Amino acid sequence: MKRMLMTLGAVLTIGVAAPVSAIGATPKDVLVIGKAADPQTLDPAVTIDNNDWTVSYPAYQRLVRYESKDGKGLSSVTGELADHWTVSADGLVWEFKLKPGNSFADGIPVDAQAVKFSFDRLVKMKQGPGEAFPDDLAVTVVDPLTVRFTLTKAFAPFLYTLANNGAGIINPAVVANEKNGDNAQAWLSGHTAGSGPYQLTAWQKGQSLTLEPNPDYSGPKPAFAKVIVKIVPEASARRLQLEGGDLDIAEDLPLDQVQALSKTAGVDIGTYPSLRVTYLYLNNKKPPLDKPEVRRAIVKAIDTGAIIDGILLGNGKAMGGPIPDGMWGYDPTITPVTADVKEAKALLAKAGASGAKLSFALSDRDPNWQPIALAVQANLADAGVTVSLENLANATYRERLGKGEFDIAIGNWSPDFSDPYMFMNYWFDSSKQGLSGNRSFYSKAAVDDLIRKAAVAATQDERTGLYNQAQHIVVDDAAYVYLFQKNTQVAKRDTVKGYVFNPMLESIYNIDTMSKAD
Amino acid sequence: MSFLTILRRRLGFLILVVIGVSLITFAISHMIPGDPARLIAGDRASDAAVAAIRQKLGLDRPLYVQYGLYIAGFVQGDLGTSIRTGRPVAEDIIAFFPATLELVIAALMLSVLLGVPLGVASAVWRDRPIDHAVRSFAVIGISTPAFWLGLIVLLLFYGRLGWLPSGGAIDPLISPPAHYTGFDLVDAVIAGNAAALVSVVKHLILPAATLGFVHVGIVARQIRSAMLDQLGEDYVRTARAGGLSRSRVVLRHALPNAMIPSVTVLGLAFGDLLYGAVLTETVFAWPGMGNYVVASIQALDFPAVMGFTVVVSFAYVLVNLLVDLAYIVLDPRIKEIG
Repeated sequence: MKRMLMTLGAVLTIGVAAPVSAIGATPKDVLVIGKAADPQTLDPAVTIDNNDWTVSYPAYQRLVRYESKDGKGLSSVTGELADHWTVSADGLVWEFKLKPGNSFADGIPVDAQAVKFSFDRLVKMKQGPGEAFPDDLAVTVVDPLTVRFTLTKAFAPFLYTLANNGAGIINPAVVANEKNGDNAQAWLSGHTAGSGPYQLTAWQKGQSLTLEPNPDYSGPKPAFAKVIVKIVPEASARRLQLEGGDLDIAEDLPLDQVQALSKTAGVDIGTYPSLRVTYLYLNNKKPPLDKPEVRRAIVKAIDTGAIIDGILLGNGKAMGGPIPDGMWGYDPTITPVTADVKEAKALLAKAGASGAKLSFALSDRDPNWQPIALAVQANLADAGVTVSLENLANATYRERLGKGEFDIAIGNWSPDFSDPYMFMNYWFDSSKQGLSGNRSFYSKAAVDDLIRKAAVAATQDERTGLYNQAQHIVVDDAAYVYLFQKNTQVAKRDTVKGYVFNPMLESIYNIDTMSKAD
Repeated sequence: MSFLTILRRRLGFLILVVIGVSLITFAISHMIPGDPARLIAGDRASDAAVAAIRQKLGLDRPLYVQYGLYIAGFVQGDLGTSIRTGRPVAEDIIAFFPATLELVIAALMLSVLLGVPLGVASAVWRDRPIDHAVRSFAVIGISTPAFWLGLIVLLLFYGRLGWLPSGGAIDPLISPPAHYTGFDLVDAVIAGNAAALVSVVKHLILPAATLGFVHVGIVARQIRSAMLDQLGEDYVRTARAGGLSRSRVVLRHALPNAMIPSVTVLGLAFGDLLYGAVLTETVFAWPGMGNYVVASIQALDFPAVMGFTVVVSFAYVLVNLLVDLAYIVLDPRIKEIG
């Protein structure tokens, strides 16, 4: 018996410890992407999840797209369906001239009517992506290739919102699939109806989605005859499949798995600075955090560099202000704060808050949050502040954030469109207090004035100037603790060529211009 | 009491159980803090936009009205529309549930096919090496977390040996069989699609073995103990004294009697496997309901959670009803059941 068990144990040990052999390589004209979860819905007017956009983004075209230069994705935009556009002096009327020759996957041309249909639907449905567009947005067909958008209030980031997944142009023929006045939502949840380079041809729920080229796409013919998005919920299994060659790209791998993979032959890890920011909300309404000195003391006590090195294994960039590096409006003169416990203690003493007791709310939404919270707890303990951690269910945590029932809380933020508005106006406008953006419940009339002006100002230079002024004020007020912008790591086989990372398009791949080497 | 009366009475209970389950699930899912309308609208949406979605979904109505409307739809076969996917819940259940059922049935068959012979052998050769081996195997099975075991077999049979695929129900590069029943294996046979059949079988082996592993031990122990009871009975000694061979006595006389209590274990195992399938599905990327339900719970997708709970509990109660009815067939002495 003992011998039997020992033999079994030996076989298992040798088997498991032996090196992985690549058992399968996907065909050259097929790209296989491994994802942790099935997309929820592919309807551009409904989804607000990058996990869905992997499939929906390449299936649709938009009026504008993000540019790339020398293999690097930029946050600036250029025309995609639009050939050129004009904007009125007051910033209220935007007129787009469409390029001729673009067609949906059923051969119907993309015209101004389709643009109007898509935006009217988006605004009418009022789901997540509609939030970026004003309710009273009026879309008019001027002629088959000219479409006009009329706003009632100037909104400078408008152009950038048009590169969103939500601004995808949908084939008006989908109305045939409408049921009980659902605007074809149920149908578009599981099908695509766009003019992008690829279209969804099969979805085996919970298992895989297959994209194939749109025969009527006006651009160059893509290299992949099939792009398969495979659902592999377990991270270790995704890693194994990437090593084994059954996946070309594996998403969402934990840092330790990525580190291990970086030494694996045939696997290539790309590391890119992202615009995903992790920061702490300091409840500006609740004593003692209503005093700027106390907030400054907290900022001063936290050793962000140690958090980046210890928890992110160096895969992040410390932030000094709210606009991250890579977004226009970023001010390099606002440098990250160096931790100084002595100064933190002095500030606390000055504010009469030595020995303060604070709560720190977090959830299991991000596996890094708990170690960060523990690090912050230790840093603040050094400064004499006692922090009690409250690890909450995510739904409860969000509810508490919305109601302002916390002292300190942690969160991530990534921009929906490439405009500093996403950081400055959402985080600091006193009218957005709560879950919608201003989660520190910050309020200052001078800042409201500057950022509201920046939201309607005509030129980028003028807007940058206004945002810079506001940035200096809010950094001095220590409204939040800006921790870091995390690097995005993309693990792929080294045969995959031509991938361009764009910080605005996380989990979205330029599958129309990528290819595979032999 | 006649068989039909018993059946009618038990079916009545079944309806009561399903109503009870739906009521409890409804109550629990509405007690969880959080707002599904906010999840749809996104964190950055205004309160007015969230309120509009809440109204559209009917979440602003009193709870009893929401429940009443749900039940009214349910009896007409309408399980509502998923908040998360925007698709009818019934459509999602049809997409995901058969895969789970297929995995559970395969695991159950495996545990019976391996567990029964092991249990019999263990009882017949009591206290001999085979008995020790089976008992140790049962203990290892019961105490091995399915999640861990799944990763180990994946590493071994996919990562190292390359014998079996790593996950999913069929190779995504193979065109799947047409949907007749929703069970890939059955559909592949009906369609006569040999490539799909081979792929489906290969994909089924590891998850079914992992899921069934625990129950092989449980079934073996149950059969062993029932067999030991039977082998000690007078009729066995009499049969042996009458000149019947040992194998004939064991297989033709003792085993059928030992199977009766074991049927209960199988009914319970079905429920256990349904529950255990969630973790196994995650490891093996099995396209069953596990991941769908977890994602639905996280998104506070009440209609989806309700739909699945009711369907799964219905299946569970139905299987246990079948088990009870099987008693009557297996043992003619039993005329009345609960």
